[in-house]
Amino acid sequence: MVQRRPNRVAGPGHDEFWAFCSQGELRIQRCEDCGHWSWPPAGTCEACGQDRLTWSLSSGVGRVVAWCTFERRYYAELDVPWDAILVELEEGPLFVSNPSGFTNDRVACGMRVRVAFVDCEDDAGPFRLPVFEEA
Amino acid sequence: MGASSCAASSSPRTRPAPDGSASEVRTLSGTFLEPPVPDRSASGRIAVVGVGETDYGHDYRAARAGGPGYVAPDAVTLGRRAFERALGDSGLRREEVDGLCASFPYGGPDPAAFAAALGLAPRHVMAGGGMMPLLPAANALAAGSCRTMAVVHALPSRALGRQYGGQTYGGSGRDSYYYYHPWGWSSQAAHWAFMFTSYAATYGVTEEDLGAVAVTLRAHAARNPNATMRAPLFLEDYLASRYVVRPMRLLDLCLVNDGAVCVILAAADRARDLRHAPVLLAGWAAARVSHSKMRAMALEWLHPQLAAAGRAALGMAGVTVADVDHFEGYDASTIHLVCQLEGYGFAERGQGLAFWKEGHTEIGGTIPTNTGGGMLSEAYLQGWNLLAEAVRQLRGEAGARQVDGAEVSLFSFATTESAHPVVLTRGT
Repeated sequence: MVQRRPNRVAGPGHDEFWAFCSQGELRIQRCEDCGHWSWPPAGTCEACGQDRLTWSLSSGVGRVVAWCTFERRYYAELDVPWDAILVELEEGPLFVSNPSGFTNDRVACGMRVRVAFVDCEDDAGPFRLPVFEEA
Repeated sequence: MGASSCAASSSPRTRPAPDGSASEVRTLSGTFLEPPVPDRSASGRIAVVGVGETDYGHDYRAARAGGPGYVAPDAVTLGRRAFERALGDSGLRREEVDGLCASFPYGGPDPAAFAAALGLAPRHVMAGGGMMPLLPAANALAAGSCRTMAVVHALPSRALGRQYGGQTYGGSGRDSYYYYHPWGWSSQAAHWAFMFTSYAATYGVTEEDLGAVAVTLRAHAARNPNATMRAPLFLEDYLASRYVVRPMRLLDLCLVNDGAVCVILAAADRARDLRHAPVLLAGWAAARVSHSKMRAMALEWLHPQLAAAGRAALGMAGVTVADVDHFEGYDASTIHLVCQLEGYGFAERGQGLAFWKEGHTEIGGTIPTNTGGGMLSEAYLQGWNLLAEAVRQLRGEAGARQVDGAEVSLFSFATTESAHPVVLTRGT
């Protein structure tokens, strides 16, 4: 079932990210100069300021480092309680996402997770959203 | 801004914390310190000579009651009230105020129009341009643009129905406020929830431990006639309050109210002739995350940025953390305030909640904190009410909440990505 979600940010950098997601790939910008992985998309490397960034394939594996559950409703599209997690990908970047196949009732910091893609749509059309399931 | 890098590193993965502490806490987020070396010669040359605030509690109750005849205040109404009180407090004549800094983060008239509304014809006017324009205003004064500067910060948060999350919020500037909409993640509260869940997992504390912060600040507010929330609060009440973004409860988050603060600044040598003992701007610094704000906030609890800025500000003032008599820290949330106490070095990292439970932050404790009730229980004025409280403490005018012998205050403006401490001292 396609999930309705709040709108993505669109534009250069962002569109590439979602195109890779539609192919089932989690790709993150990596600096060719210092090797730093930057997320969200940026024009220059947040660590060293150089602009040679390459969309690099992440293993999609990481661990939960923080979590929260929205009890107040901020989005018309989403029911509460609504779970979110912060995942530290093994390449380094922190990725805000949602748990898939588990809820925050049993989330724990340190839990190993792996990316999965779910079919969604927003005002701009259908897309595939990276979420995380227990590894 | 941020062109110079002090503690930031080109190889952040191996760099120790900028405070060089023996614990070798690594910082992956990087820190910009601005200015890199605060100018010692600027210490103590500018003084706060007047302070005025609106009626936080009264205005909040009126707004909640609403009804026919209630007119929600705007920035000008609030700002004028705070200015008139600060002017009266200072003992200055209106025509002696020849500088005005108008700070309206949520909108308001341009500074010249606001000056006219106050009946001023200043030589120098400036817009606040941010949440904490204290130092730009002091710099303008030090540069000779004017002799007396009124800084007015007005914030009709409740009147404007200001929202702090959701798709309508943000859209520019900070990624963290708008980028994660497809995952349903936004709001200030969600920032603090991430900060606390990682903190709790790292240091082995619980939500119940966090309650000590809200309970202590409410006790302080009970001693402050102008505070918004004064009813006694016990841990059971805290635990019974509703979640906004779990594990952050309503009582972990700052208030949403209308208000304004005005401080009047003058050169310290001139301030000696005025009504009150001058309160001197003795030291300051600003540090912000140079990259990976999410990491700095959620996994490093802003400790590196706080430590770097705190050390610089205290050094400029020529004091140490042990010399500070009380602390006024930016309590956007309970956990935000805890992290500031740790980052500046009042409490050991990871021990901040035990520190609250042991009573160190109470009036009469080793470092009384947010003695007017803070933004959790007094008012949300983006830190300006905390600055006003520091001034009252140093003058010895804090009444039932007075810290005995207060001579050195540390005021901390802070966000999810920056730290801006100001050391204030009692002049003669």
